[in-house]
Amino acid sequence: MNIDLSEEAAEYGRQAVRAFEAAGGDDLVRQAEREPKRRAALVGPVLDELGALDLDPRGDAAELEAAAALCRAAGYFAVPFPVAERLSRPAGADGLLVVDGARPAAAVAGLDLSWTAVTLDGRRCDAAARAPEGPPRTSAFVTGLDLRPAGAGGECARDLALGLVLPCWTLLGMLDRAIDLTREHVLLREQFGQALARFQGVRFQLTEAEVERSGAEALAKYALWSVQDHRGEAADDALALRLAAVEAADVVFRVAHQLHGAFGFCDEAFLSWLSRYGQPLRRLPLGPAGTRDRLTRSLGRRGLTGPFGEARERAAR
Amino acid sequence: MTGVRGTAHDLAEFRAEVRGWCREHIPADWRRAQTGVPEEEFVAFQKEWFQELRRAGFAVPHWPREWGGGMPVAEQIILYQELAAHDAPRLVLAFVAIHHAAATLLAAGTDEQRRRHLPAILDGEIWAQGFSEPGAGSDLAALSTTARRQDDGYVVNGQKVWASGAAHADWCLLLARTDPGAPKRRGISYFLLDMSTPGIDVRPIRQATGESHFCEIFLDDVVIPRTCLVGRENDGWRVAQETLGAERGMTMLELAERLGNAGFRWLLETCARPGPGGARPVDDALVADRLAGFETELTALRALCRDLVERHDAGTPGPADASVVKLFYSELLQRMTGFGAEIAGPAAHAELRKPLSSGWESGAWALDFIGSWEWTIPGGTSEIQRTIIGERGLGLPREPRGGR
Repeated sequence: MNIDLSEEAAEYGRQAVRAFEAAGGDDLVRQAEREPKRRAALVGPVLDELGALDLDPRGDAAELEAAAALCRAAGYFAVPFPVAERLSRPAGADGLLVVDGARPAAAVAGLDLSWTAVTLDGRRCDAAARAPEGPPRTSAFVTGLDLRPAGAGGECARDLALGLVLPCWTLLGMLDRAIDLTREHVLLREQFGQALARFQGVRFQLTEAEVERSGAEALAKYALWSVQDHRGEAADDALALRLAAVEAADVVFRVAHQLHGAFGFCDEAFLSWLSRYGQPLRRLPLGPAGTRDRLTRSLGRRGLTGPFGEARERAAR
Repeated sequence: MTGVRGTAHDLAEFRAEVRGWCREHIPADWRRAQTGVPEEEFVAFQKEWFQELRRAGFAVPHWPREWGGGMPVAEQIILYQELAAHDAPRLVLAFVAIHHAAATLLAAGTDEQRRRHLPAILDGEIWAQGFSEPGAGSDLAALSTTARRQDDGYVVNGQKVWASGAAHADWCLLLARTDPGAPKRRGISYFLLDMSTPGIDVRPIRQATGESHFCEIFLDDVVIPRTCLVGRENDGWRVAQETLGAERGMTMLELAERLGNAGFRWLLETCARPGPGGARPVDDALVADRLAGFETELTALRALCRDLVERHDAGTPGPADASVVKLFYSELLQRMTGFGAEIAGPAAHAELRKPLSSGWESGAWALDFIGSWEWTIPGGTSEIQRTIIGERGLGLPREPRGGR
């Protein structure tokens, strides 16, 4: 079992970072907030250039890794478009959304796309996005969805696993960026005659955040492998990843904001944008408490299989 | 209303008096009415509420008697407990004026300065604080705004940042460097700046919440008369230290009472509201456990604050008491509002208006959570407070420093 991304996928991710950067980088989300109607037009050409929609993450193991790398790159710039959701689409739809059946919503306002939704308890529906209730500044493009049950068929468990895992890669890209921005800030910002990075209290907070981020990264790779390997427990692994990622996001953004100081809450600072546009990923379909509850109920007393589960079972026999 | 009382009976009587006053004078629907109002209405409401408190002798109870205060500490405690319990509007706009400006004038101002400003503050003069700069936040002494002697005054140039409410301020407390050659703490002077002076440009800073509560102040050849210098020239750092360190216990006590009253009540209400699936969060054992934890911490915070003001009154404060209270309040506020945002779910993120004039907890949890950083960052970050507690409270050796 090798959970690292292939060199090809990693290279594709680097190309994606360069392409998003060339298309405006941090300005993409700023422009999309000003002109929400243009967000598909802002991001579409970059995705075309990268051949993103030709990727087949469901059918091809290598392309699943490339898709994950692309999502991570999109997160790095808080790209204002549901890249992961488009990439995980099932046949016959433009994208896949994992939703909480009781309160379906997603950051897909104002896009002319047809969506398939899968609820956390594994029901497949067609989803229509309502008109957004507020401007993106306040809604971060989140809007309510009207669900209509779709016929049986399809692979709900696989939808669920893929539909949870890829957006976590987007969130991972946001955590990468939050750490990078904070690292740059504490190296540059001087108080008391030295860079903040020289204060141990500052260093320890940043390292605590980085430990959380890297833990989420390791689980993201493991859950991706679990999907790739068509494992029966892939949906549980995806949910476990999601919990780890939203918990890591709590720590990373708390530290990033504290260490940025007041500046981090101003529009001048990209952290403020990253933090705002990361909210849908951290709250939907469920926030940390709801995710934990769902995972606990799903696992019961069984626990996660984990990388060494089979070996453990064999040893027990 | 402010006579010397002390017996339990007198205090009970005073409490009953304040309660009666609260029932009669606190506008019943101010939270609803003050949600989403334009700035001018907020300013008018704040000024009117200040005058209402003033008429009752409740606006500046901590000031000396000759200036309109003189309420004994035991009564001030009761006053703030009752204002919080009755969910009174908070004095937001007058805060710098009645606390920082007044403390500065009382400790270091001339008689003329006091006579000029203390009555004016009671009549509604608004003050802002021009201390922080882009290069001088936690390290305030690194400030680089300059005040050059000219004729019978000073010419000031520089930039201030994070000045809360500066857009509405009539006057500003200003720190500027008068001796660039002196060691950095020794060349600073303390000024009173009339905000209508030519050369001042106030620009609001757009925050993540969309509000613009903080301002930048640009100072371009601004002339300050010599009569507006507080204390001696180049002695501003000492003045600032003294007045920043002035008794903050009572304001912390008020905030702790508010968090423990309305704040905790809203948290309970949020947890008792059925979620989309019909279940109430409060019926979940984990949620109940968190609530119990918060209640315990709130009780401790309120006790700490009370202890702080009483020890200050008795002249026996510990060297790091104020830092302990600020740190504990800041981080508890952040955890509580964060928990509120978590329980309220995504809907809380779409709630973008909160009643102006409220405290740091309003029940608009996502906004409150973001606002909680206004406690862990300004006024000495949590990192600075920890350093103070370590060094002054626990007597640990000083941290190795750079070029101080």
